[in-house]
Amino acid sequence: MEGMHWALLLAMLEVSRPSGIEFRHVHSPSARKHLPEAMGGGVALLDYNNDGLLDVFLVNSGQLGVPRTEPRFWNRLYQQNRDGSFTDVTRQAGLAGSPAAGYGMGVATADYDGDGFTDLYVTNFGANVLYRNTGKGGFVDATTKAGVAAGGWSVSAGFFDFDNDGRPDLFVTRYMDWTLATSQACGSAPKVYCPPATFPAVANVLYRNLGDGVFQDVSTRSGIAAAKGRALGVAFADADDDGHTDIFVANDGMEQFFFHNRGDGTFTERAIEAGAALSGDGQPVSGMGVDFRDYDNDGRPDVVVTTLSRQRYALFRNEGGGVFGYHSLLSNLGALSSIHSGWGVAFADFDNDGWKDLLAAQGHVMDNVQQLDPSLRSQEPPLLLFNRKGRFEESSLGPVVPGRGLAIGDIDNDGALDAVMSVLGGAPVVYRNRPGPNNWLQLKLKSLGARVTVNGQRQEAGTAGSYLSAHDGRLHFGLGTATAAEIEVRWPSGRTSSMRTDQLNRVLTIEEP
Amino acid sequence: MLATLVTVVLAAQQTLPPEVMKHVSAAADAQKAGRHDEAIREYARVTALMPDLAAGHVGLGGTYMRKGDFAGAIAPLRRALELNAELPGAHQMLGFSLLAAGYAAQAIPHLEKVKAHDALGIALFLAGQPVDSIVHLKTALDQRPNDPELLYYLGRASGMISKQSFDALQGQYPAAARTHQLNGELNATQRKIPEAEAAYREALRIRPDLPGAHLQLGELYAAAGQWVKAEAEYRAESKLRPGDAEALFRLGNAMLEQGKATEALVELKRADELSPNMPETLFALGKAEYLAGNPDAAEKYWTGLLALENQTPLAAQTQFSLSTLYRKRGQTDKAAAALAEYRRLRGGK
Repeated sequence: MEGMHWALLLAMLEVSRPSGIEFRHVHSPSARKHLPEAMGGGVALLDYNNDGLLDVFLVNSGQLGVPRTEPRFWNRLYQQNRDGSFTDVTRQAGLAGSPAAGYGMGVATADYDGDGFTDLYVTNFGANVLYRNTGKGGFVDATTKAGVAAGGWSVSAGFFDFDNDGRPDLFVTRYMDWTLATSQACGSAPKVYCPPATFPAVANVLYRNLGDGVFQDVSTRSGIAAAKGRALGVAFADADDDGHTDIFVANDGMEQFFFHNRGDGTFTERAIEAGAALSGDGQPVSGMGVDFRDYDNDGRPDVVVTTLSRQRYALFRNEGGGVFGYHSLLSNLGALSSIHSGWGVAFADFDNDGWKDLLAAQGHVMDNVQQLDPSLRSQEPPLLLFNRKGRFEESSLGPVVPGRGLAIGDIDNDGALDAVMSVLGGAPVVYRNRPGPNNWLQLKLKSLGARVTVNGQRQEAGTAGSYLSAHDGRLHFGLGTATAAEIEVRWPSGRTSSMRTDQLNRVLTIEEP
Repeated sequence: MLATLVTVVLAAQQTLPPEVMKHVSAAADAQKAGRHDEAIREYARVTALMPDLAAGHVGLGGTYMRKGDFAGAIAPLRRALELNAELPGAHQMLGFSLLAAGYAAQAIPHLEKVKAHDALGIALFLAGQPVDSIVHLKTALDQRPNDPELLYYLGRASGMISKQSFDALQGQYPAAARTHQLNGELNATQRKIPEAEAAYREALRIRPDLPGAHLQLGELYAAAGQWVKAEAEYRAESKLRPGDAEALFRLGNAMLEQGKATEALVELKRADELSPNMPETLFALGKAEYLAGNPDAAEKYWTGLLALENQTPLAAQTQFSLSTLYRKRGQTDKAAAALAEYRRLRGGK
């Protein structure tokens, strides 16, 4: 586990400009300060054509109330070529334009129909769209058949298997009850985006995958709809090790939600009781992005929530027994984040030392925040923190942009995790990571929610988390100087697998026996 | 009340002719009915019939006051005091009228005579005498602690003194360390952070032992989330002034922000010794003990805080912290009770 701190020797993540990605996010900001204009858009890293190379899908926003027929408003799929360049395959993949007038927000990925190809679910202000991957280089709109349009203002979404039936179910966060008709700006001079409490809270949506390409809205029956919030981010993990995947929802300006999976198709929202609803001082935070992974290698998934400036990003350490402790101070995350405003966030081991580091896209939501407080910025560099056995240290990273979505994955298959950050109204930033001397292992599993432990590090299979975004589905483990890996998998079915390998620095596919 | 006063005074004049008494009564009736113009006419007839009758002029002036015409009240009230310098209430009425009409300086001797501290304090401030003004406003506030008018003028008067002092400092000693410190404060208020930082640094260059400057720099860095730098400044301040509880409290808090709970405890305990039972210090001490893994000690500090104050936002935070502590201990009933109290204090949210 103990490895070299490669980051001390070299700046690891570097901004790269891969040829072929010409995307520019269009959000059409207006003087009326419509809230959705400040919130988009997402990014996904996926291998849509199963060629072993990660491709990039970027969600565009467009213009509120205007159909997204113009090419500059389109979402884009960039297929990675063998030489590391990308080709825009949006049109031939059937993803050009948007069938509805939705203003684009985020993306979730999973093979929902079990055909071996990753599908796309795009959230919007307006109806959402499920794109089924045909496996022949294209996608078809399967929303109507699947029954997952949702409506309203959807933000982050994620696939997970809440009932352990092996089929990816879908959770969709919704921000608030906002329409163009009820939109308003706040403040006098300058006008600013209104705080979230200006608009009524709404319920999130849970769709159960019935297995024939059809989903069923079980929001009410499951208890999810009973908790109304202002949700922006969602992440999944089995917090209490009962074999059922739980849900953490980042809410803006109010208590966070922790939906405990009771294992009978219902959930109980118990963030307050679990100690994960508020800051350590009992203050509500503006939850934006969220990740739900074990950052301190104690075998229990922890939660990080990015927030607005002067709130400190919230780190809820899983202390077992269904209880979390507020660890923003002890981990030093609070001090390193107190002035920042974060969005997409991920725990990921960038230096392969066996400890998950933290990367967050940043930038204050108010584009004119400097007029109100010159010490704050609407454009910020991302926050890269290296994890030194549970305590974070800052590393510098650029560029200074209004970051939003964030997806992690090994784009060039070199064993060092890369990242793509979406930028509000701008071009995405691709970060390439150089492999250091430490060993690593990547695991490919088909089952969402499969719990994997490698040399004491725990992760759960899935692509959700962050903000508006979807990660590479492969599980990445930095191994430090270890020369072998002890692997244990607990499958959603309850079966377990274990193996040992000394063949490291490779991608290993594991299937349920 | 004014009408009654004048009527009584006039009625006491046993020698008033019936014609005059008729107008006095008519004036009093009109005033009671709120017919101010009619009352003014009647009192004018009284003063015309008996020009040396001081009470008649008081009645006329008082009626102008009731009508809200303070400028109109001044002449008859002045005439009344010329005729009888000790006439009851006339100085107060003239002082109020002069003040209301904008003649603050002229109002002062009349208000001083009757010790009307509230109006006198305001008049003194408006006449450019803020130091004396504060004395009278504070006396008036002792009697009416929540009077918005008095609070407003006390704030204005204090601000005027502050401005006069600072203007003198900047004008006469532009290169002094205190002047740079002041410039730092002014820039910090306007959130001009680089300028504020430069000014504080210059102040400390000129006078390395300048009290307060390190503390202010620490505040600047803390607001910018630069906790390492904030800690260094607070430490420098507490080294210069080891008896300053605030510097130690802020030093402890800066350490706490960085998760250095054990080190923070040392400084916070020193702050508590120097200035015992400050609620903010007790809260931070509880937090530091809790983070350092001493829940029993944390509970002691937090319950101690609640014994001092239990209805404030800090009390709400403390209840929340206690609920976390109890929940971790498995004391679910106590956790639920503390959480309920937290919610009550937060207004049910």
